[in-house]
Amino acid sequence: MTPAALIHVIDDDASFRESLCDLLKAAGFDVRSYASTGEFLLDATPDRPGCVLLDMRLPGPSGLDLQAALLRQERTIPIIFLTGHADVASGIRAMKAGAVDFLEKPVDRATLIDAIDRAVERDESQRQSRAVRRRQHERLAVLTAREREVFDLIVSGRLNKQIADDLSISLRTVKAYRAHLMEKLGVATAAELGRLAGEQGRAAD
Amino acid sequence: MGGTVSVGLAPRCALAMRAMGCQPLRWLVALCLAFGAASACADDVRRVLVIYSNGRLVGGNVDVELGLSRALASSSKGLVQVYSEFLESEFAESSYEETVTTYLKAKYSRQRPDVIVVVARPSLAYMLRHKRELFPEAPVVHAAVFKSYLVSVPAIPSDVVGIPLEYDPTGTIEQALRWHPSAKHLVMIVGSTARDREWEQILKGITPGFESRAKVEYLSGVPTAAILARVAELGRDSIVFTPGFYQSGDTLRSTPRDSVQAIARASGAPVYGFLSTFIGTGVVGGRSPDFVDMGTQAGKTVQRLLNGEPAATLALAPAMPNRLRVDWRQARRWGIADGQIPADAIVQFKEPTFWEAYRNIALAIACVFLLQAALIGALLLERRRRRNAELAVQAQRSQLAHASRLAIAGELTASIAHEINQPLGAILASADAAELILESGGDRRDDLTRIVSRIRRDDLRASDVIRRLRSLLAKHEPEHQLFDLGLMINDAVKLLEAESHRRETTLEVRPLPGGTMVVGDLVQLQQVLINLILNAMDAVADMAPDRRMVVIQAAIDGSSVSVLVRDRGHGIAADDLPKIFESFFSTKHKGMGLGLSIARTIVEAHGGRIQAENGAVNGAVFRVDLPAAATRSASMAAAQ
Repeated sequence: MTPAALIHVIDDDASFRESLCDLLKAAGFDVRSYASTGEFLLDATPDRPGCVLLDMRLPGPSGLDLQAALLRQERTIPIIFLTGHADVASGIRAMKAGAVDFLEKPVDRATLIDAIDRAVERDESQRQSRAVRRRQHERLAVLTAREREVFDLIVSGRLNKQIADDLSISLRTVKAYRAHLMEKLGVATAAELGRLAGEQGRAAD
Repeated sequence: MGGTVSVGLAPRCALAMRAMGCQPLRWLVALCLAFGAASACADDVRRVLVIYSNGRLVGGNVDVELGLSRALASSSKGLVQVYSEFLESEFAESSYEETVTTYLKAKYSRQRPDVIVVVARPSLAYMLRHKRELFPEAPVVHAAVFKSYLVSVPAIPSDVVGIPLEYDPTGTIEQALRWHPSAKHLVMIVGSTARDREWEQILKGITPGFESRAKVEYLSGVPTAAILARVAELGRDSIVFTPGFYQSGDTLRSTPRDSVQAIARASGAPVYGFLSTFIGTGVVGGRSPDFVDMGTQAGKTVQRLLNGEPAATLALAPAMPNRLRVDWRQARRWGIADGQIPADAIVQFKEPTFWEAYRNIALAIACVFLLQAALIGALLLERRRRRNAELAVQAQRSQLAHASRLAIAGELTASIAHEINQPLGAILASADAAELILESGGDRRDDLTRIVSRIRRDDLRASDVIRRLRSLLAKHEPEHQLFDLGLMINDAVKLLEAESHRRETTLEVRPLPGGTMVVGDLVQLQQVLINLILNAMDAVADMAPDRRMVVIQAAIDGSSVSVLVRDRGHGIAADDLPKIFESFFSTKHKGMGLGLSIARTIVEAHGGRIQAENGAVNGAVFRVDLPAAATRSASMAAAQ
């Protein structure tokens, strides 16, 4: 079994924070709690799937500020916003900025767990695709610049002759590069090459 | 004036009148002569001589004179001169009558009377004896003369006329016996003069009729003292009847009226006497002709004679009517009810009822009272109206204040919702956690205990928010209560805490010494403070974070307490400063301009003052001064 997801609770209200922690722990999550966004940012979070439960209204930098900061740092941890008073404008802002969910306090347990599960799932899938992409990246890294150029043109559906024209090299040279890179990447057919390129493309999304 | 010939006829007549002298009477005489009516107009004054039998002050004489003079005064013909003579016939010496005759003859030799009136029998008898000698030409009218006497006189001349009397002793005694049915004793008192003796004769003629009903006792000619002693012995089972007397058994002279008065005073039994003049002396009453009536009748007869009717042809009533007279006070005294008194009786001395006696005064007083009552009523009504108006104004003011509080609450909705949802969310999460822990089945008592106590804490927190909010929103009657200003300020600040977070504004409270008491309406004063703080937060809303600060400061200075709300915004424009507390003045986009005007109304209703000024460095300072409840603050502080 995979290790339990790690949930980060950020709320300035100690009582609410503790209650939420108790609930999530009882529901089988690992929890870390912070009174402010700053505390969270300063914390060296272990690289584990999870999500952030973030109070919209916080003293100092707000939940939306944190969201912006995380985006900038490309920390893609999903954020579920919690608010004491749903205000449509900030809700929309949060969702546009990529929040997974926007919940109003007091929040129903099922809804909360649901949202967390979804967020964690998303985090996990993001993590997976990030890993695939990293792996692809590593595999494609073995190609020379010329080989990579030829690869890109192959997966974009160009014929050998066209590639030769595009790159102003001879057809034979193209064929040589092609054989060489297929060997390097360990694929036997053009279809396999295409799948590899497809994964690469998805991971880049 | 004589020179103006053209003046006309009227002045000429007036001139003629003046020529005749200023005596219209003489002028009349002249006129009469001219028309040959010598007999009628020879003398312009008609003379009536009234001869009374006895003294001037005898009650009967006084009444007769009254009736007579009234009747003659209503004469339409010229002037009637009335002369009175009093024979005082008690003086019985033979020379006396002669002297009187000589006197009268001499006295009236020039002024001859046209008509003679004789009052009571002696003077009639005298006149019958001397008429021819004294006044042969004058007709005689008699009054107060008994019929019995008239029939006893052989020949009464035809020019002697009058309505005779018939006393009704029988009727009087009958009436007395009806009123005192238990009376067994009838005491008759008569005097000893010749006239008194005549009464005795009359009475003795009628008393046998009563002997079957009561024992009749006569006191005739008994000395006055003995009479009084006897009547004093009598009780209520007796009735005294007396015509009065002039003299009785001694040398004391009296009038019938005086004697009756003495008897009535002394008597232990009701006294009856029939002369109308007796009423008022203490007698119960009696049936009698009225002396005033007699005078009136005589006067009318005189009138007719003066008018030229011949005496012989006058048709006169056969007798004066008798009427029952009652002294109401005596009737009371002797237990005669009003219902027992015949309707045609003349009731005298009836004490008027309050209404009869004081009708006008009572009406006047009642009017005054009514007016006063109406005035008081009107004033009360006015007062009530005014009070109602005041109450209406007060109610309106309080409604306005309430509306303004609602507006404040509206402004705070977001922060209040946050503040309430925070503990509610915590409670729900705690409860869910507890449920999951219980479902997991492990023994985690410590966790559960902690969770439950947290739930309680959060619940209290939520209800505290609601309490503060409710006290702000409650529609309540303005009230006067003693409260701690410091606590009020803290409460207000707590209510605004979430809002200040939302607006990222710092609220700083500089604490007040504990127990600073103020008397007034807590909610309304808190409203003023909240209003000022919200305004201050608005003022710093677009300032840099370090200037987004509002300071609330309170101080006590002797008998007054001041609360200052200071912000670090741009301050108030000098032009706006004087208008800032006016209604509908606002510098905000969405402001109604009522908050500060209501604040001022509230503060002034508490006997305080509110003012605004700009701070020394920046921002504005609002200052509320309130009278401190000085006398109790010390003791309250001590109690705390």
